[in-house]
Formats: sequence, structure tokens, C-alpha cells
Amino acid sequence: MKVTKLGAIVASAVFVFAACSTSPGTSAGDKGTIDIWSSLPRQGSSKGQTDTIVNAIKLKIDQLGGKVDGWTISYTDQDDSTAAAGKWTPEKETDNATKAVADKNLVAYIGTFNSGAAKLSIPTLCTAGIPMISPANTYPGLTVTLGAEAGEPEKYYPGGCKHNYFRVVPNDNLQGGAGARYAQSLGATKAYLLDDTELYGKGIADVFEKTAKDISLQVLAHDQAPGKSTDFKALAAKIKAAGPDLVYYGGITQNNAGQLWKDLRDALGPDVKLMGPDGIYENAFIEAAGAAAEGTYITFGGPDPDNYTGDAAKFKADYIAKYPGSSLEGYSIYGYEAANVLLSAIEKASKAGAKDVTALRSATIDNLAATKDFKGVIGTFSLDASGDTNSQTFTGFKVVSGKFAFDKDLTPAK
Amino acid sequence: MHHDGAPVSILFRIVANPLELRGPSVDIVNSVPILGPCLADLSQCAEAFKIGLFNGLIIALIAIGYTLVYGILQLINFANGDVFMVGTMLTWIGVSFMGLREGSPASLVIVTLVVLLVATMLITAGLNASIERLAYRPLRNAPTLATLISAIGMSFILQNVGQAIIGPSPRSVPQLLSNKPLFEIGGVSFALNELFVAVITIPLLVGLTWFVQKTRQGKAMRATAQDREAAGLMGINTNRTISLTFLLAGALAGGAGLVVALYYGQTWWFYGFPFGLLAFTAAVLGGIGNLTGAALGGIVLGLIRALNERYVDPRWTDVVVFSILIIVLVFRPTGILGEKIGERA
Amino acid sequence: MTQVVTLARRSLNPLSGLTHDPRQRRIVAVLILAALIYPFLASAGLFPSWVPAPTTNNLIVMCYYAVLALGLNIVVGFAGLLDLGYVAFYVFGAYTTAFLGSEQFGFHLSWWVTVWIAVAIAALAGVLLGAPTLRLRGDYLAIVTLGFGEIVPLMFKNLDKININIAGQKIIGPDFNLTGGVLGINPIDPPTLPSPFGKEIIFSNSNPHASLYLILLILMVVFFLSRRLRDSRLGRAWMAIREDETAAEAMGINTVSTKLLAFALGASCSGFVGAFVSSYQTAVFPESFNFAISITILIMVVLGGMGSLRGAVLGAFALSYVSETFLPWAGTFVNPPINSLGDATHVAFFTNFTLSAYNYLIFGVVLVLMMIFRPEGLLPSATRRAELHGEGIAAESTFGTTASVAEAATDFEEAAGELPIADWSDAAGAAAEPTHAADEPPPSNPPSAGGPA
Repeated sequence: MKVTKLGAIVASAVFVFAACSTSPGTSAGDKGTIDIWSSLPRQGSSKGQTDTIVNAIKLKIDQLGGKVDGWTISYTDQDDSTAAAGKWTPEKETDNATKAVADKNLVAYIGTFNSGAAKLSIPTLCTAGIPMISPANTYPGLTVTLGAEAGEPEKYYPGGCKHNYFRVVPNDNLQGGAGARYAQSLGATKAYLLDDTELYGKGIADVFEKTAKDISLQVLAHDQAPGKSTDFKALAAKIKAAGPDLVYYGGITQNNAGQLWKDLRDALGPDVKLMGPDGIYENAFIEAAGAAAEGTYITFGGPDPDNYTGDAAKFKADYIAKYPGSSLEGYSIYGYEAANVLLSAIEKASKAGAKDVTALRSATIDNLAATKDFKGVIGTFSLDASGDTNSQTFTGFKVVSGKFAFDKDLTPAK
Repeated sequence: MHHDGAPVSILFRIVANPLELRGPSVDIVNSVPILGPCLADLSQCAEAFKIGLFNGLIIALIAIGYTLVYGILQLINFANGDVFMVGTMLTWIGVSFMGLREGSPASLVIVTLVVLLVATMLITAGLNASIERLAYRPLRNAPTLATLISAIGMSFILQNVGQAIIGPSPRSVPQLLSNKPLFEIGGVSFALNELFVAVITIPLLVGLTWFVQKTRQGKAMRATAQDREAAGLMGINTNRTISLTFLLAGALAGGAGLVVALYYGQTWWFYGFPFGLLAFTAAVLGGIGNLTGAALGGIVLGLIRALNERYVDPRWTDVVVFSILIIVLVFRPTGILGEKIGERA
Repeated sequence: MTQVVTLARRSLNPLSGLTHDPRQRRIVAVLILAALIYPFLASAGLFPSWVPAPTTNNLIVMCYYAVLALGLNIVVGFAGLLDLGYVAFYVFGAYTTAFLGSEQFGFHLSWWVTVWIAVAIAALAGVLLGAPTLRLRGDYLAIVTLGFGEIVPLMFKNLDKININIAGQKIIGPDFNLTGGVLGINPIDPPTLPSPFGKEIIFSNSNPHASLYLILLILMVVFFLSRRLRDSRLGRAWMAIREDETAAEAMGINTVSTKLLAFALGASCSGFVGAFVSSYQTAVFPESFNFAISITILIMVVLGGMGSLRGAVLGAFALSYVSETFLPWAGTFVNPPINSLGDATHVAFFTNFTLSAYNYLIFGVVLVLMMIFRPEGLLPSATRRAELHGEGIAAESTFGTTASVAEAATDFEEAAGELPIADWSDAAGAAAEPTHAADEPPPSNPPSAGGPA
């Protein structure tokens, strides 16, 4: 019978594979291998940012000699984007989270880059008890109710699973507000708001709008500029007719922000100020907008990479030494910081007696939630049980001669 | 200003204040959403019309490429939009190669643009004809779906080539033509870059119509479109005529590419899809196979888009465009002007 | 009486609808068995990294694309209606499940109920979106369906703050949130079943094994129904319309209801997938539904062979395997040397090279070559093969235009050559009336073995 023959082949193949995958014996002082994954969009125009994040994570692991308290770290760089989309897709992020759950050696998951992606992987990883730390998610609803939709954030932690999600960047509640105050400090009185109709952009523009009302900065209107549009000339004419002195765009470069900037500059002339969040804080934006990017104000939740001081400067020097000829992006340091605080939590867990992966995962979550006055490269910060950082470092940049130049420290006085 | 609470009609506020209009606000009493605000400020309205018109001319140029090819092969040439994208890319390469930037000497800019226009149109024409030779001609006798799929395949290939050369994000083309107002007509100002759009697109549209209607080659094209076999029997070299059609469609797409690269100021590997979709919609709207129809369809689409963006809500632009297309086709399946050439079966 | 018994026995045998050839049946049995044990092998880590083995999740993606391809195959392959906006139906299926099984409106209906509602709504959407297109010829149909494919997801994206006032009276609003807007609907209840081992079984991405079995079951059901449909009188009516609509109408086929049924039944498959995917991912986002999905499914159908069921499944498997598993795997070997070459030479193209970024380039080349050298697809149906390689039959055949009914009749004979005659009488038995010709007007209900509508 053919079937029996096939069965025999399958069976023998299984044995061969089984023999191959037997784990090597553990020597003294070597507790085994633990897996750490990152899940970031590695294609499309976020690639510039994520390349440096991955490099920064590798740098941190290398600095520890690839080991944490006797455990050998095996780091895998997963991709949650597709070329066709040019950005993250729900299918890929789901796939990564599912694969992560299936990996019995996985201790932690660094990611995601986009908040929308985090909404998919948090519940899956939470149910499995895997800690997750993001270097870049800024959507408030992942951790807190302020600035969130109904049911957030509880709905991402189904069945009362232990809160497994943390982030080292300040959320958009802070950034949208920082943007509005920045706008006012620049002398703006009448703002016109736009967003790219997506989660991040709409969220941040909504917070800007709310804060603007609180600080009595007049908001003329809040319109949408969908990323699929080929041009925004008619929209720009409409904005011109409304007569704002500042236009704020909540959105990302990939949603045709370059074209929007060109059309806005065309219609409004050089005197009306244009401002955006960190979604356009990347070189791809300047390449797309060209001369129209000149004079744009940008808020970013972190220190200025060109003016790092103290530990941040040391990080930058180490990074350039390991990756000569490369340059840092805004989020690179957060990639490093995420790995930094995570590995320290794992080390603490292991030293406290966690003997296997399950114990490590659980203790790591507890340690992360209890992070207090952690001396990181961006400064000293704490994480709370909801997963947020208390770091409020914000920087205002202005595009000058095609470069992001430091303009103002927006960190609120403590 | 309207926003200062001046006695503006309620209509204006309901329709034009986007804070109230996040979803479709349907108000039966004030149910003409564009007319009211348009009449309230005529120069604003004319401005929107102007923007729509220039965008429409560009769409028309690409739409003609679709309509020509459809007329002769009954093929939706999906790759046409991507040939247009290659046109924007070539312009970007040319401008960067010459090191041109805003404020470069006018003579240099003019010479470069003339050379670039000719070169871009020649290259895209050649590209389009080669695509036909390689990917469509072997399928001449296959069902049209096979050719359509082949066209989609070519579209993918061109997009990826564009992505490899341009990179994943749009790239800026310097503002070589001034956007400063040159003169005003009835409160609407016109700038050099807008005149440039008209100066390139209108002669191309007129020239092409003349070519197809008046020349011997044009006659051969129309004959081949009507009945390929009979045209062949009458001594027309149909393969050559089809190649010529693709050359023309490619040249127009290249011309449109140059105009977009300079007027919009960008090149983007993804451009082929949205522009191609709009252009094909325009061709169908006007009556596919009909040159005047395609031009008219393009301009109508440009106007609808601009007015919707200006007075209704940009989020609904695509919905409005396609709804109009569907309504037109359901009630008048051959488009506004009807099919002229290429009616078969 | 014996006929009824035979019929009942056959309906109960899950493989009876799949194939009648004992050899084929064995192959199918082996394949299904392999799919059932595969996730255990994969999760046991039996496949080293140098084997491009799909993960269970990849396998699930392959399966649901196969169901979508089978659905589109009914519309494009059987009835010859070129649909470039199949994603529009898929959206309805996905959002119906989301509406009925989430916090959105506070309904938490069991998935086992909502799936049928999703299928029904998708079928209804098929009829509603199909109806305006009935008068349109092939290419106009293509562009209108494309339009629907763009409009429908946009509607779901934009309908998050609805205010409808009539004469100053609020009818709906203020800011009624129907679809969750760009945030989508998240989370969505997954299907659950009580388990004999205590904890209930959850069919979501937290339990890919169970989900794989569920989608496999859906795939088998849809395959079975598709096969029955193809061999039914309705199936023959579709093919007659595909070959020559005018002639088909002259032969007494009600083209309106027949075409609408094609849309409805094709759409209902996407209803299954919509219900499955939204609950498997535990969320829906309007951005996930775009033209690329429609076109990918169409490519799967064409690649496999239009009108061929095995072809559609093979096309879907091949395409999603290559893009989900193979290219990322191959990239782990190909990318690093190219990237380091880029680092050394400072050529951005090499530095940023990612193999999987070029999967559409590869698809493009494959599509063009396929169309030139094997336009009938990898596993063509007998009809298509005859059409494309028959004695000059196809010389002037444009889609659904010039092939004559006589040719269609020869095609049917060829088709019959492939299938055992028993299959035909089987379908007739299911219709409980003997039919052997395509020239009778179809009854208002499809004589299939119980279509999902």
C-alpha cells in the first residue's frame, strides 16, 4: 500500500528531525537559552527607524556578552510588515504573536512599532503570560483610559490576565498636549488641524484639539487628509480661506505627508507655521516634502539625538563604534532603553530564583511593573503597573536646511 | 471670515464645518451641499474649479492612454498607470541629474524641461510598446482575461522596479516652476506651474485627437479598433497599428508623468495605482474608446474631487467618485458620451 | 428508495463530494491527515530553521485564502463575471461577525450562530452589489466591482460618527459609532466549544491548532459545495452564460437570477472567511481590506486554473506559501550578504535590500510567463483546457463573448470525460429530479446539495 509506505517515510522523517533538534547538554554556569523577539515593521518607509532600533537592541545584548545571569540570549528580529502594504499588517503581527506563544523558550517580546499592531499582540501575549515592551507605541488606550475609546485598555487584557505590556516612550496624551503648548509658545492663535484618518494620527490630533481648548488656543477646524489622496490642493485652498496661523497635522510620512506639505506651502505661503508629531520625524519626510519641509515644527517624545548628554552620549558613541557610518534616528535610543530595562528585569528575576522560562516570564512582568527610578540612557524613569513611563522628555525640532535642528526643550518643568 | 460667526447661511456651517461633519450629515432641508457655499463666495468656488480643472487635465491625459488601448484591444491596460509613474520617476532622475533646484537659471530650466519632456515621452512610449510586444502580443488570440492578468503582472513588475529605484517613500522633485501668482482672472490667480500644466496637456490632447481623426495612421487605428480581422484583410498592418497605439498611450503617460512630477513636486512608486484608477474611471465615465469622452471624463472627475474636498469631506472623495461612476454606468452603460470605437460583440 | 439511501450515505461520507476516484480519494485522505498532524509536528520544533516549513498560522492563512479563491472561482471561473472587488463581500462577512460578537453593540452571540448570519449577509451583499452590474459587459463589470471594492471598506472606515437629521429632527446621532472607524472593532469573541477535558476549546490565534482544524473544516465544506454546484444544473447554466450569454438566454436560462446566484454563492464563501478571520485575529480593521486582497485572490484563481476547484486551492496555497513562508525564509539567507555588500559599497539599494519586498515582482513575472506559456493555469478544468488548446475553438474567444453554444457542448463532453458519469447522476439525485441538459430553465432554488444561502 502506498499509504503505508508514505506513513513509514513520514515516521522516519519525524525521528530524524527529532534527533536533530535534541537540545545540547547544559554545562555548569550555563542555564540554557532564552529567546527574545522583536516585532517591528522591517519593510516600507519605517525601515530607517526600525533598522536602528534593531541595531540598538543588538548593541545592548552584545554589551552583556550575549548572556543574562547565565542564560544565553537568542535574539530574533521579526518583521510585522509586508512589502505590498509598505507598513505593518494585521496578518503579519498576528502571525508573529502566535509564533511567539508557540516558542517555549521565549521570555519577552520587544514591540511593536505601531500602536495598532500592539492592540493585536497584547491580548495574545497577555493570555500566554509573555512580557511585552514597546520602544515606540504612543497610543494612550493601550495603557490608560484617558484619551482612549470605550473599553480600553481593559479589553486588551482579556480574562483578567496579568498586565504584561510596558512602554518606554511617553504616550500621545503627553505629545498632543506638548504640541499644542509648543504651538502657543510660537505665537500661534488660530490653529487648523488635520489628521491622516489613522489610529495614531487621529488620536494625536484629537489630543491637540482638546489641549488647545484648555489653553484657549483657537481651533478653526479639524479636517481629514486621507493618505490615499494624490493631492491636497483643494483642501489647502480651503484651509487658506479659513486663515489659520498654524496648521497641525496628526499623521505619518507614509500617508503622503510630503504632498500635503507641498500643497499647504503652495497655498499658504511661508508665513503660516506647519507642525507635526514624531510620525514625520524621520528623514523620509524631508526627502518627500523637499523644500516645503523647511521651517516645519516637530514634537518628539525624547531627547535630541544630536545633543545627547551623559549616558545617552555614551550610547551614541557605542552605537557609532559598532555600526560605523550609520546615524541615529529618534527612536533608536528607545530600542536600546527597552532592551536595557527588560534585560535588567530578567536578570533580577533569574537572581531571585526563577528556574525556567515560565517563572522567568512571570517574574519579569512583576519586575517591570515595579521599575522604580531606573537609571537608563534617557535619564531616570519609573514604569507603573499600567505600563506607562513617567519620563516626559519632549523636544521641539525645526527643519532648517533640510535637517532636524533642535528648537526647544518641551519637557514640562517638574 | 466665515468662522467668526458672521451671518453666514446655516447651510454653510452644516456642510463646511468639519467638526460637525465627521460622518455623513444628511439634512433634507439643506440638501444641496456644494451649491450654497459655492454661491456664497464665488472666487473661492472658482479657485476650487481651477484646481479641479488642472488635476482633471492630467487625469485626462492618462485616461486617453487607457481608452486608446481599450478601444483597440478591449484590454484594461493595468500597466498604463505604472508607465505614468515611470514618467514621474524619469523626470525626478533627470532633474536630480542636472542638479536643478528652486532658483536655477531660467534658461537652463527651460532647456532641461524641453529635453526631459521629449526624452521622457520617448522612453515611456518605448516602454509601453515593449510591454505590448513582450506581454500582450503573444496573447493576441487568448481570452482577454489572460491579457488582463498579464497586464496586472506587468504593473507589479513596474511598481517593484520603481520601488527599487525611488525607495519606499515618495521623493521630492524641486519646485522648478514658480507657484507665485502671475495674473488674476476674476479673483482667481494663476501661477507659472499651473500654466505649465495647461501648456503641456492641452496641446497633447488636441494633437492626439487630430492624429486619430485626421491622419492615415489614425484611420488605420480606428479601422483596427472596429474590426481587427477586416482591417488586416484591407491591408492594414494590425500589429504595427497596435504597436503605434501603445507608443502613443505611453508617450501621453510619460507627458503626464513629467507634468505631475513638476506640478505636484513628487515621484512615488505607488503613484500608478491611484492615478491609474482615476484615469480608467474617467475613461469609462466618458465612454470607453471615446477620446473626447476620456478627456471630458478626466475633467469631470477632477472637478468632482476638488469640489468634494473643498466643500464636503476629503474622506468621502473616493466614495463619491465611484458612486458617480456606478450610477452613470447603471443608467447609461456606455458612459456619458457613449462608445465610439471598439464596440464589439 | 435505494437512490435516497445511497444519497444519504454519500452525504454522510465527508469525502464523497470531494472525489469519486478511489486513488484521488486516498490522496485527499492522506493530505487531510497530514494537515491534521502537521501542527503537532511544527510546534514540537521538528522542523529546523533550514527547512522552509510553514507555521501553523501560515497554514491557516493558506487555508482561508483557499476558501476565498474557491468563492471567487464561482463568480469568475464558473459564471465568467470578472470581479475585481471581491474584498467588498469579505468586509461584510468580517464586520457582521464583529458587530454580533463584540462589545461594539453589546451583542455576544455565539460564533456558531453569527457565522451563518455573516454568510447570509455576505450573500445578500453579493446580490445587492451584483444587481446593478447585471446589464454591464465584462470590462464595465470589472470596473464597477473594483469601485465597490474601494467604496465598501471606505464606508466601514468612515461610518464612525453618523448624524442624520431630517428637518432639524435627530434621527440618528449624535455621533453614532457604527463601525468603530479606523480603530476597527477589537476584540471580537472567538468561537468556543466545550471540551471533554475541562477547559473549553478556543478557536483564536491563541490556539492555532484548533483554528486550523476549523478552517480546514470550512475549506472542505466549501470545496464540497463548490463541486456539487459545478456539477449541478445551476453550474452548467453558469458555464453556458460564461461561454455565450445571448445563446444561454435563448436556451431559456434566466440570466438575471443565475448571475445573481453566482454573486450570492461566491460572496457567501467570503462570509465564512470573514467570520473566521475576524474572530481568529480577534479584531477587524478597515485598512486590511484593499484592492491588493481582491487582486491577490484573482491571481490565485487564475494561477490555479479558472473554473478548476483543485486549481483554486493549489493557487491559493502556492501564492500564500511563497509570500508568507518561503520568501521570508529565503530572505534569511539572501539578505545578509547583500546588505553587507551595501554597507561596504554604500549603495542604499543593497543596504536596504529585503527579498520579501520583491514578492510582487516575482508574482508579476510568474503571471506574465504563465499567461504566455500556460494560460489555462496549473490545474486547469477540462473545459478551460479544451477552450485554450482545442482545435481552434478559442481563436476568437474573448471572455464570455464569441464561443458558441456548440463549443460549450463539446466542452461539457470533455468535462464529462474527466468525471465519472456517476457524478452527474449524483447531482441530479441531489436535485431530486433527473436533469441531463443545460437547456432547462433553472428553478428558483439552486439544485445544489443545499447551497449555503
